[in-house]
Amino acid sequence: MPRLSRSWWDWLFAIVAIAGASVLILISLHNFPSEAQPPQNRPIKSQVAGYVSSNACRSCHSGNYATWHTSYHRTMTQVATPSSLPQNMDQLQLALNGTEYKVERRGDAFFVRKRREGAGYGGGQQIVLVTGSHTLQIPWLETGQGRTLEQLPFAYIVAEKMWAPVSQTFLMPPDLKEYYSIGAWNGACMDCHVTQGQSRFVEGNRWDSRVAEFGIACEACHSEGAEHIALNRNPLRRFKIHLTTRSDPSITTPARLKAPDSALDCGQCHSVWAFNNMTDKIDFNRHGSGFRPGQHDLVQRFVVQPKEEDHREQKDFIRRTEPDFVGNRFWGDGMVRVTGRELNGVQASPCFRGGQFSCISCHEMHLYPAESAALKTWARNGQLKPRMESDQACLQCHTDMTARLVAHTHHAADSSGSRCYNCHMPNTTFGLLHAIRSHQVSSPTTRESTDYGRPNACNLCHLDRTLSWTAEKLHQWYNQPVPTLSQDDQTIAAAVQWLVKGDAGQRALLAWGLGWEPAQKIAGGDWFYPYLIYSLNDPYAAVRFDAWKSLQTLPGFANFSFDFTAAEGVLNEAAARAYGKWLRDVRSPSATYRPETLLDSDGRLQKDIFQRLQSERDDKRIILSE
Amino acid sequence: MQTTTRGQTPKKKAHRNLRFGWWSLLIFLLFGGALETMHGFKIGWYLDVGNEARRLMFTLAHAHGTLLALVNIAAGLTARNVVRFDLRPSTSLALIWAAILLPAGFFLGGVVTYGGDPGLGVWLVPVGAILLFYSIARIALDLSRLK
Repeated sequence: MPRLSRSWWDWLFAIVAIAGASVLILISLHNFPSEAQPPQNRPIKSQVAGYVSSNACRSCHSGNYATWHTSYHRTMTQVATPSSLPQNMDQLQLALNGTEYKVERRGDAFFVRKRREGAGYGGGQQIVLVTGSHTLQIPWLETGQGRTLEQLPFAYIVAEKMWAPVSQTFLMPPDLKEYYSIGAWNGACMDCHVTQGQSRFVEGNRWDSRVAEFGIACEACHSEGAEHIALNRNPLRRFKIHLTTRSDPSITTPARLKAPDSALDCGQCHSVWAFNNMTDKIDFNRHGSGFRPGQHDLVQRFVVQPKEEDHREQKDFIRRTEPDFVGNRFWGDGMVRVTGRELNGVQASPCFRGGQFSCISCHEMHLYPAESAALKTWARNGQLKPRMESDQACLQCHTDMTARLVAHTHHAADSSGSRCYNCHMPNTTFGLLHAIRSHQVSSPTTRESTDYGRPNACNLCHLDRTLSWTAEKLHQWYNQPVPTLSQDDQTIAAAVQWLVKGDAGQRALLAWGLGWEPAQKIAGGDWFYPYLIYSLNDPYAAVRFDAWKSLQTLPGFANFSFDFTAAEGVLNEAAARAYGKWLRDVRSPSATYRPETLLDSDGRLQKDIFQRLQSERDDKRIILSE
Repeated sequence: MQTTTRGQTPKKKAHRNLRFGWWSLLIFLLFGGALETMHGFKIGWYLDVGNEARRLMFTLAHAHGTLLALVNIAAGLTARNVVRFDLRPSTSLALIWAAILLPAGFFLGGVVTYGGDPGLGVWLVPVGAILLFYSIARIALDLSRLK
């Protein structure tokens, strides 16, 4: 056998090495299924035409990705995992309406087992999704009916680290034991809690729901990215854009849109909207939203402004088929009263008519510089632009106001009464167990309170003053006409009236409002105690919750424990305990009370008037549909 | 005494690459110090997640500058110590320019960035890469032909 030369051995070694490397590459390129089958028991992330998901955006837009990743938009809906669910979930045991719930952990999955009183626990339903992350978290369970979900009837209140029945974390009548039912997530919630969801109704209560991405991701605001990515693989195209227009027509940049279109981008979710007709509703549920950022209307849907002339036929239909629809979402003059629907307010603001005002006048979805501590604050603070929590938000347009601030406000320059937000965007919307600022920029009037029941900005700060006092000031300072007011409006503090005889929505705003620091500084906190203690017994759980939280802001009650979900007897006992504590330990014997507060010199409520107000309480059923 | 084009001896060319290499190494040592300082003081312009492209470009500039300085030194030492090996003038210059253009391209690409894209300066990188490829291939071939 001829002996091979050294160079032959070299070549042979090289060939074997190349062949070996090729085999390894082929093996690694083989399309192994990373997950054998997508889960069958929940909605899944799936290929939705043109949508590529945030992972595809990350490599080129790392800064924007990072800021979005910090935001609560991302975690609006998450697949249930040990990290996305509240801590100690596996030790959870709850009971509601005669049913006990016990959570068990099996590996990284969590299961809820139920039993009726006296019966044994069932096998368990897996918790598959969780909605919300910074205020409330609501877990969703498999149902055994395809991808149809059922709500765990408890919500986790993040700030309190406590669980409460979902029906008590929304402002809704106490007799309403269950708000959402099986299939509601698929049929309604996913419209706005995921990116480009497709409900995909099958039959009965069976759904085959898919989403482009869980949570609100890049493509919700920028439109689908497949074409943008394909085009921008060409570096010459990218540099041409960088060096010329800096505007890429293959993707939508909300900041470059005209203000109304930019606002609609946010308003596709942040508005009270309805479907144009049944055909559009079916189309939406099957194929997802037809709206793409940059368009001038919501395509299959429209923004419901009850006092505007548009979509009359549809609005008449809504009023006929759902008589409470408007009342559960709007004040009598058409101003929105629930949170999460800010576009309605923005559109109705005088600023909006100028054509330059939109959500991103004050908010931004990507903070720069993206420093981690600033990001967390920004995410918790409504994603406001820097300095937009101050008067600067308004002064960016109303530039002349700085020079005549005191002349305009009639309050000291450093007073909370000279802060633009406090007068023009008072806390008159409610949801997620707290009040937030109205996004309809307006000026305070007494008429908004007398005619529509909405607490006006003046009396939300001057809680111890009457409507008559406010009317007088508004006449004196702004030449507003003085309305004819009732005897109560002339003698009893407006806040007392709203808190005692208002509807549940008004009572909730005031229960929260008595804990609002600027109002406490202006109106004195001492007379707040009996009213907040009284509100611990309110029929609406949301009012009780806010009364409790406001009470905790007052001296002597910081650690006051209270179960706002407890039965009536326990609530009575807690209120009595609180009242006794106030009288005994907290109340100053020398304290004086304005007569408008209905407290006598001993700090006791003037029984006859108080009971009359109580008997006049507006007990109409209210569900603030946030 | 051997002479080549431009009348430079191989020793002089070797000296040019050695001199360039050591000066270049000093410059990129200082540049590395500057990058470390930016880490130390947590300079957002360099470290923030939105400036990922800048950080990558500067890191690449530092890495390429340092490595190519060493390559220049290695080339100079090779020319000095390998008998009958002649470092061609074009090879010597290509190696030096590669060691300038590659890190300069990365550096300038990082000064101005467009989201995930570096600035225009990054287009110097492929030019430098071609020069580097030429010079390394030339040295390898010339060394292989020595008897």
